[in-house]
Amino acid sequence: MTAVDEPQSYSGTRKGEPDKTIEEVWAQPTGLRWWSSVSHRVVGKRFIYTGFAFFIIAGFLALLVRTQLIVPGNTFLDNETYNQVFTMHGTLMMFLFAIPILEGFAVYLIPMMLGARDLIFPRLEQFGYYCYLFGGIIVLSSFLFDAAPDGGWFMYVPLTTNAFTPGVSADFWLIGITFAEIASVTAAVELIVAILCARAPGMSLTKMPIFAWYILITAFMIAIGFPPLIIGSILLEANRLLGLPFFDPTVGGDPLLWQHLFWLFGHPEVYIIFLPAAGMVATILPTFVGKPLFGYGFVVAAVISMGFISFGLWAHHMFTTGLPILSLSLFSAASTMVAVPTGVQIFAFIATLAQGRPRMTTPMLFVMGFLFIFVLGGLTGVMLASVPFNWQAHDSYFVVAHLHYVLIGGMVFPLFAAFYYWAPHITGRMMSERLGKWVFWLMFIGFNATFFLMHVTGLRGMPRRIATYPEGIGWDRLNLLSTLGSYILAAGVALFIFDFIRHLRHGERAGRDPWRAGTMEWLYPTVAIGFNFHAIPPVETREPLWNNPNMLGKNAEDVEGVMRKMHDGRRETIGCDPVSGSPVQIVRLPHPTFTPMFTAFALAVAFAATIASAYFVAIAGIVAGLLGFTIWAWEPSDSGVTRDAGMGYVLPVNMIEKRSHMHIATVGTMLVLYALLGSLIFALLYLWNVYPNFAAQTAQPNLLWTGLSMLAGLVLLILAMINRRVAVADRIGLATVMNLAVILASIACTACLALAIQRTDPWGTALGATMWATLGFVALNLFITLYWALFNAARKVTGRVGAGQSLPDFNLATYAKGTAVMVLITGGLFLAATLGGLS
Amino acid sequence: MGSTLDQFGSQTTFADAGIGAARTVWLTNSMSIISLVILAFVMLVALFAWRSTGGGRVWWIIGGGIVFPLITLSVLTVASATTLRSITGEAQPEAPVIEITAYQYWWDVVHHSEGRSLRDANEIVLPLNMAVTLQLKSNDVIHSFWVPSVSGKMDMIPGRINELTITATKEGRFRGQCAEFCGLSHPLMAFEVLVLPVEEYAAYLESLDEDARDAVTPQQRRGKEVFLTSGCTACHAVNGVSENGRLGPDLSRVGARASLGAGMWRMNKGNLAGWIADVGDMKPGAQMPSYNDLSGPDLRAVAAWLESLK
Repeated sequence: MTAVDEPQSYSGTRKGEPDKTIEEVWAQPTGLRWWSSVSHRVVGKRFIYTGFAFFIIAGFLALLVRTQLIVPGNTFLDNETYNQVFTMHGTLMMFLFAIPILEGFAVYLIPMMLGARDLIFPRLEQFGYYCYLFGGIIVLSSFLFDAAPDGGWFMYVPLTTNAFTPGVSADFWLIGITFAEIASVTAAVELIVAILCARAPGMSLTKMPIFAWYILITAFMIAIGFPPLIIGSILLEANRLLGLPFFDPTVGGDPLLWQHLFWLFGHPEVYIIFLPAAGMVATILPTFVGKPLFGYGFVVAAVISMGFISFGLWAHHMFTTGLPILSLSLFSAASTMVAVPTGVQIFAFIATLAQGRPRMTTPMLFVMGFLFIFVLGGLTGVMLASVPFNWQAHDSYFVVAHLHYVLIGGMVFPLFAAFYYWAPHITGRMMSERLGKWVFWLMFIGFNATFFLMHVTGLRGMPRRIATYPEGIGWDRLNLLSTLGSYILAAGVALFIFDFIRHLRHGERAGRDPWRAGTMEWLYPTVAIGFNFHAIPPVETREPLWNNPNMLGKNAEDVEGVMRKMHDGRRETIGCDPVSGSPVQIVRLPHPTFTPMFTAFALAVAFAATIASAYFVAIAGIVAGLLGFTIWAWEPSDSGVTRDAGMGYVLPVNMIEKRSHMHIATVGTMLVLYALLGSLIFALLYLWNVYPNFAAQTAQPNLLWTGLSMLAGLVLLILAMINRRVAVADRIGLATVMNLAVILASIACTACLALAIQRTDPWGTALGATMWATLGFVALNLFITLYWALFNAARKVTGRVGAGQSLPDFNLATYAKGTAVMVLITGGLFLAATLGGLS
Repeated sequence: MGSTLDQFGSQTTFADAGIGAARTVWLTNSMSIISLVILAFVMLVALFAWRSTGGGRVWWIIGGGIVFPLITLSVLTVASATTLRSITGEAQPEAPVIEITAYQYWWDVVHHSEGRSLRDANEIVLPLNMAVTLQLKSNDVIHSFWVPSVSGKMDMIPGRINELTITATKEGRFRGQCAEFCGLSHPLMAFEVLVLPVEEYAAYLESLDEDARDAVTPQQRRGKEVFLTSGCTACHAVNGVSENGRLGPDLSRVGARASLGAGMWRMNKGNLAGWIADVGDMKPGAQMPSYNDLSGPDLRAVAAWLESLK
């Protein structure tokens, strides 16, 4: 479509800076405006540094734990403080360190490895970072209010309900962590789209660096695995604030519902933590062998299968809760089977070692440390999958040993390898090989001294999460030695910090590709230019720097590629077909802005105000957040023109079809939303199944209104389809009318669904409360549909979106269709409840 | 028999004082050894691969990553399932039932025998070589019943009854502890299991059915009086003295227990007195208020009387 063609009136030009050079357009903002940067390199580094800060804080909390346990009957920490300290240690490590820091590396590396100038939604990434930062600050601030969460990092109910945890400590966890999780979920959608849509010409999926595969699968896992926890947290917070009885057995709720929702997240979570780190190993190890990863296809297959299998194991955290024998057997067998894809990856790494003569450098030392520690952790994991053994080892120090072996071995050691490996890329200087060896050995010896003995401690009967233990029953010396080991581990980390700071000024300057790696992030001399590539080169192999003499053989800025010329004074990168990698569009990227930070801050105010019970302020925060999103997206559309990308490619800008990055993001978002809905439906079916007598006491939905709601959903579906068709046909006026029709249909759906369950008392039974929670979620989606339709209509009416620029309605239609199907599903469930009876 | 407090090895899974523990410990030991062997093997292969330059082979991945795990995991799954079956298969429908309800932070124990419900607390007496069915419940939050030397654990979840069949195979005293984080005094919620030959177990049950021992000395009589007039009876029951208080542990045989405060301190007059006067300090978060304004003689009298209830 070329309905809009003149460069001067084209909205894409109006948003740009046509008088500047490409360097100037991509320059980092300076001074205070640096905080408005949307560059993936800046935001990625922020994630890494902030994540590391949380690592140090959480590590310090661990030292407090170990110090308390150094002798029996110690009074270094009282029980209350100890409970807060171990809860915050786990919480900070799992939510505010592990995933964010890996996310940071992914955000930093992926565009450069794949041949992109930035991530595909840079403002979203900035927004995610500030959600993480503000959420983390909210959680940490709980210490200042002497209200740090103290229910364990997994916050089991009923201990964390109001009856047993009055006060706001649990609310700090539920609200602060959920807020920080927004960062992970937005990053997941971002990375899925970036990996699928923004690769160098010719980089098909099978030519992607293996790290990109790991991150892609991890992102899908986050999109599906985080929703159960988000739903669980919202339900528990609703229980604490509003008294809704989801987990109360006296009205048909179940404490195990929390455990199911938590572990449906919790088990994939640990693989979400492991996989990016394994991807780092898969990248670093071949570099030091000098040969490609052996068994690339096997590894991809293993990672994909691990992604799927990991969702079927969650109940192995619940073997002692009284599950039926059949469940125990199935989950036990599945939990052992996950060792197969894990083993495939391990042996692919080992086979790669045989491909050449490996060089022993500090990163390689940490890779070898990973091998030893993680394999042992995996083996104890298989042990724990055995039910009779689990009945002894569960909730004992054996599990503490296991989890630290897999997490520290499987994530922290690869992370330190990554620090040493990519430090020259980030800072331009090499860290010290000599000090690096000291850091490794202190950490390796300290780690094993601390945690190996804990296997024995646990099997000698010491339970988890106890502030102290009695003298003389057999745990004294083991705990003493573990504590001493932890100080050695801490010394290693401290030495690392010293070396990092030292190397910033005194490290040897790194040249170009100092490790002789093959992937494209090393194309430029270290600390590459802000826009990554003067021209994005086509690739033919997985290790372009090794196989293409034109890459390292020339000055980086002379390497041939697409997108050398800037268009309309705008930041942009090449967009590709998701499978083949051939260029199909030019993707326009935003310039620095404070809007995402403002929006995140508004949400932070809303969440903090909820904890403080200042509900009017909370509502104001939400409204301000909505305003922020509106301002963020309120810009002229860039679609409707084609531009010459070089090398013979003349491509549409922000193309309007299913493979558009914005459309794929909409689909990715729908995936997350369906996982959220799925979690609610799981809760409904679970409660209906487990407490049928209380289900029978729940008022059945009204048949007439249920039928009408399904009709309304069908109407919404059809209107959405018509809306898209009309918009793509450039009938602007009619499209605006269809937007308004979508608004009305959304309102109708919400009203009908609410009227359908008007007689159900949300405080009457847990099932009733869950029905209303499901309605609330669908209503939220209907509201977003409504607001988006209004927004699209307004942009057309004010001329920001013209003929030939129908991408907004294209995407709205997908979202509205998804929401309509949600209405149909929910209506269908209500219908089944009415016709079949709830008992 | 002496209390398990500071008795080395009274709370360990490396034991065979019960069928559950005994049948699991061989699994523990064999899996541990095999795991270490596999670890050594993997590291040796890695070392070999490091030194070799002949190139990797696909059969390494298929053999090491697929075939070997599938074989060992299948063996493990069968071994585990068989062991599980042999442990849970011990359940008998006519086995005596002991209902244990966990509270923050103590254990209410009811032996069901010949139509009678016989209540005790914190010390769980089991018959030797006879399967019993524990019905595990919770009054408040999730707890977990774990006496590692005798059996694997089972959680105690409000709103549910979880059944665990236990067969103790060794006489003696074993220590157990709550194994699910349950709040402030979770580390101070232990219990003792006393395994007696069947005749002595039957005698124990009879003693639960009788009135508590009479107060003999003047100090004990004074103590009983203080108990009756200080509000203790609102929560505590003593057979033949006051039987309506069920919010706290049953004290009819409290003096016979080897430990106080749910397996935490030695049962003697001093600890009893300290407990009554300042339970909030000994066990933070306990529901029992501290009776810190009893006079010295009264406090000692109550402690003496309770200690005499054997």
